[in-house]
Amino acid sequence: MAHPALDVLLKGSSGRSTRGLLRIIILCTIAAAAVSSRLFSVIRFESIIHEFDPWFNFRATKYLVQNGFYSFWDWFDDRTWHPLGRVTGGTLYPGLMVTSGVIYHVMRFLTFPVDIRNICVLLAPAFSGLTALAMYLLTSEMTTSPSAGLLAAAFMGITPGYISRSVAGSYDNEAIAIFLLVFTFFLWIKAVKNGSIMWGALTALFYGYMVSAWGGYVFITNLIPLHIFVLLCMGRYSSRLYISYTTWYALGTLASMQIPFVGFLPIRNSDHMSALGVFGLIQLVAFAEFVRGFLPGKQFQRLLTSMVLITFGLGFGMLVLLSVSGVIAPWSGRFYSLWDTAYAKVHIPIIASVSEHQPTAWPAFFFDLNFLIWLFPAGVYLCFQKLKDEHVFVVIYAVLSSYFAGVMVRLMLTLTPIVCVAAALALSAILDNFLVISAPTPPAKTDTNKSDKVKKPIGIYSYFSKTFVTCSAVLYLLIFVAHCTWVTSNAYSSPSVVLASKLPDGSQYIIDDYREAYYWLRQNTPDNAKIMSWWDYGYQIGGMADRPTLVDNNTWNNTHIATVGKAMSSREEVSYPILRQHDVDYVLVVFGGLLGYSGDDLNKFLWMVRIAEGIWPDEVSEREFFTARGEYRVDDEATPAMKNSLMYKMSYHNYQNLFPPGQAADRVRGTKLPADTPQLNTLDEAFTSENWIIRIYKVKDLDNFGRDHSSAVAFDKGHKKKRAAKKKGPRVLRTE
Amino acid sequence: MRWCLAFFLAYFLAAVNALSSSGSRLLVILEDAAEKSLYSTLWADLEGRGYDLSFESPKSDDLSLFQHGERAYDHLLILPPKSKGLGPALTPKNILEFLNTDGNILLALSGKSSTSSAINSLLLEADIHLSPDRSAVVVDHFNYDTISAAEKHDVLLLPRPGPLRPDIKPFFDGEGVLALPRIAPQTLGSDSVLVAPVLHAPATAYSYNPREEIPAAEDIQATGSQLNAVSVMQARNSARFAVLGSVEALEDKWFSATVKAPGGKKTPTVNREFAKQLTAWAFKETGVLKVGAIEHHLATQDGEAPAELNPKIYRIKNETFFSIELSEYVYDKWVPFEVPAADDLQLEFTMLSPFHRLSLQPTRRTETSTVFSTQFVTPDQHGIFSFRVNYKRPFLTNVEEKHEVTVRHFAHDEYPRSWAISGGWVWIAGLWSVIGGFLVFVIVWLYSEPASKGAQIKKTQ
Repeated sequence: MAHPALDVLLKGSSGRSTRGLLRIIILCTIAAAAVSSRLFSVIRFESIIHEFDPWFNFRATKYLVQNGFYSFWDWFDDRTWHPLGRVTGGTLYPGLMVTSGVIYHVMRFLTFPVDIRNICVLLAPAFSGLTALAMYLLTSEMTTSPSAGLLAAAFMGITPGYISRSVAGSYDNEAIAIFLLVFTFFLWIKAVKNGSIMWGALTALFYGYMVSAWGGYVFITNLIPLHIFVLLCMGRYSSRLYISYTTWYALGTLASMQIPFVGFLPIRNSDHMSALGVFGLIQLVAFAEFVRGFLPGKQFQRLLTSMVLITFGLGFGMLVLLSVSGVIAPWSGRFYSLWDTAYAKVHIPIIASVSEHQPTAWPAFFFDLNFLIWLFPAGVYLCFQKLKDEHVFVVIYAVLSSYFAGVMVRLMLTLTPIVCVAAALALSAILDNFLVISAPTPPAKTDTNKSDKVKKPIGIYSYFSKTFVTCSAVLYLLIFVAHCTWVTSNAYSSPSVVLASKLPDGSQYIIDDYREAYYWLRQNTPDNAKIMSWWDYGYQIGGMADRPTLVDNNTWNNTHIATVGKAMSSREEVSYPILRQHDVDYVLVVFGGLLGYSGDDLNKFLWMVRIAEGIWPDEVSEREFFTARGEYRVDDEATPAMKNSLMYKMSYHNYQNLFPPGQAADRVRGTKLPADTPQLNTLDEAFTSENWIIRIYKVKDLDNFGRDHSSAVAFDKGHKKKRAAKKKGPRVLRTE
Repeated sequence: MRWCLAFFLAYFLAAVNALSSSGSRLLVILEDAAEKSLYSTLWADLEGRGYDLSFESPKSDDLSLFQHGERAYDHLLILPPKSKGLGPALTPKNILEFLNTDGNILLALSGKSSTSSAINSLLLEADIHLSPDRSAVVVDHFNYDTISAAEKHDVLLLPRPGPLRPDIKPFFDGEGVLALPRIAPQTLGSDSVLVAPVLHAPATAYSYNPREEIPAAEDIQATGSQLNAVSVMQARNSARFAVLGSVEALEDKWFSATVKAPGGKKTPTVNREFAKQLTAWAFKETGVLKVGAIEHHLATQDGEAPAELNPKIYRIKNETFFSIELSEYVYDKWVPFEVPAADDLQLEFTMLSPFHRLSLQPTRRTETSTVFSTQFVTPDQHGIFSFRVNYKRPFLTNVEEKHEVTVRHFAHDEYPRSWAISGGWVWIAGLWSVIGGFLVFVIVWLYSEPASKGAQIKKTQ
């Protein structure tokens, strides 16, 4: 009104394009914010791959780039799981590596000489920018309000729940999988809305990409059928559903079967059976709908009932039969642990031992999602108000993922997108109502003729409440941004390969023991020296030290891991033959006692014992590592099993010599240690890092003179050998 | 000039030929220089075989087995000292270190005086035990020399030993009688697999301490063939350690003595020949195996050269060829190694445990070596396997070869195609019939336009 010049821009067709341009600029800014907020770790430390799994992905990507796609596809990795090796090409989700490989080659083609490491480091931030865009598209499908999509994109861009898995350097499958998840859901909503084969096929295409990228694709595989199933139960069958679902299922299943690791799982594994079942169901429903057009109501009712009963009976019978006969694989252990959180602890210690498989603590929800977590139910409520097909999807997704996020910490990741959608819906509804300056206009007079009173339209009139609500919303948003930045910078940007601590004067002190030790291995050991360590460090040793390992973070072979656990938790006399049999040259342990680093092997030790006990219950017993009063101790009162275990000896070997006599203390477990350092006979200390975090031992060869190692060591120390004590019974002398 | 060089080379080779396979520097530990003349034939024999002998007293200050961190001698011959120990340069630790660095030792003991405790603890490390008082002598009232020990019966007459087991090559056999005066007996523990007896006392022998007035019959450590006159240990690095119970047997006197067993004829001893055999074995002139070329590759048709020699990676179910070349050193030259008739040279294809254990057959023979080979199919199990030849026999140096190779799975394009599998024809037929049926359906559907009348009727309904 006051500014006619602006009216040109804001109204009419040019106004629409102005808003479009503005939207694009906002989205680009959001994407830029999403990328830049993930760069803390690169700025603080350096461009380095983080944590554990990314190191494998990085190594695989390097292999792909060096050897080409086909040799990657057929890759037999002889440097892991020694001596079993790993059919790596057939047991990984190649999407991530292929994506970076393609980016690498495109860059090379465009004559940008980019190091593959930098692509890997920055892939996750780049894809998080795309996720924000996909989020905008998805949310825009849910509502007519243009602001909801932008809000959702902004939330998705910076919420810590997603940042935790996508900071620069966190080169993990989730880096691209969350983008694919959101985008697949967007395409699916499009397909359901339009009943279009094209959108259905696109959904299947991106679903295939998702399958190639992350094991979490099962979530989509079950969520989409569930959506259809609920819609069918609500009596909302339509040809749109039929077309979109059958297109997606047929093409998507075919696409997923192209990944060697997935192979025939979609038709053999119970996790995928719901999709198949709903596929069958929708055929029946479609047939019933078809028949309904030709039959009178009563006959149809009878036919329908009998058909439903017969089909259900037949289907259930088949399922039971196939499950019992083993054609359909039973539910996987990870799946059971989704329903019963105690299941893994009892039956599959190897799954329970992973920290990200633990149930989520309540504060984590607020920590990761901040104020979104309480806007989330409001958004779901708003969906109930409209409850179109796509809103049903949001409701189902919300219910399922909130449950899963409560069960497992890592599944917080799948909850985050829907929280962003729902929270954006709620907040945009608030803002749309409260950010309008003008009072609500009364409806056109023609509708209400009867009553004399002109009904006032419902709306907000008071400027005070408008200002108040708007301000508080803005305040919440600002706090959200501050919180996200703080969490990202403090909690999620540590590479965990390099530890940072603060000196008393506030300056930063970098603890770089891991890399120090890995580079020691790389420089000082033969190229095929086998390194035994607990599986947590397998990928890092493979990636950074480039040496073969016995076990690594791809925990596919529980027995092999249990073997390592047994070697670690047994006496030297038991461990040594195991080490010899597996050609182990060096043993690596992580010891935090000097520095107070709590993630060390002695704290993980009980898991080694448990996993070993699972395979050798007669030889390893968890109970023996606890004192009579049930305490886990490493000091003078430690149990004999504990004191004689290889892990204990390797951790504390020579440690006492650092301290004045009798004052050795372990700073992680906060206890005094026995006065004498444990005696290691079969291993030689080869390397100890600066802060004693990593200790590497070399496995001794067999004694040159056929003695056992303890007497050889005793001889070297100068102890005189006594004649063998007289045993009872006849002496055995050789006469040959 | 070239002639001169060739001549020099030939001379040098001739000189080298008559040597042990592992060097010629021999140190003799002799406490009393005067005793040197007692063994002059032995020294002459050794020098004749090309050894550089140096004599040192254990008490000598500049005696050291190592110089600048390296072995100063290749072989060590220790004659029993009269004094208690062997001095600071020859502690058991040093001697074991000498063995660790591939030096060889021949240790002679004597029943005349008690053995020093240092030697005793050295022998204990090798699982060779002496009698508790370390001064026992072997006595046999049936196999003694009636000429020199008519009273004491402590000069034993023994035949030279044959092979230890049927599958083991004899290195000490031959005709004749050995005279072994005053043997300090050794017994072998059952813990170590590295020790082996060479010559044991007859079943009628027993050990006895001449210093004790009344021999105690209650606590007998060992009797008869449990007592060894000569025993050896070969360390895992093939360093050799031989123990001779009777040093006097090496003396000139006994090299040329004539002996007479009770009820037997007078015969000359063969001590000199036996001393040659024993020193030759101990100083690695005999029983030394050398591994030449090891080759493995994919099996080829006869005569064809393999595409790649010693590849790092194989595939499951590959036909694979393996060969190993072995030579044996006999006194002065390398000769083709022959496996004893009752024995087997084996190849193991292992991953954690052997998947194949095959005997290697001699297929080719060169002037100095035999080539053993075999052919087999890699197992249907991928992993990191190794070709292992683990041939360890008493008196032969150890052959332990381990060559790691990767056995990979089938690549995606190495499986037979679907149409090549007759069982797959059913599915292929099903597949194509569905496709064909669909096409036929589409064609029929497209070309069976309903009559326009019908359409009108439907509309009106």
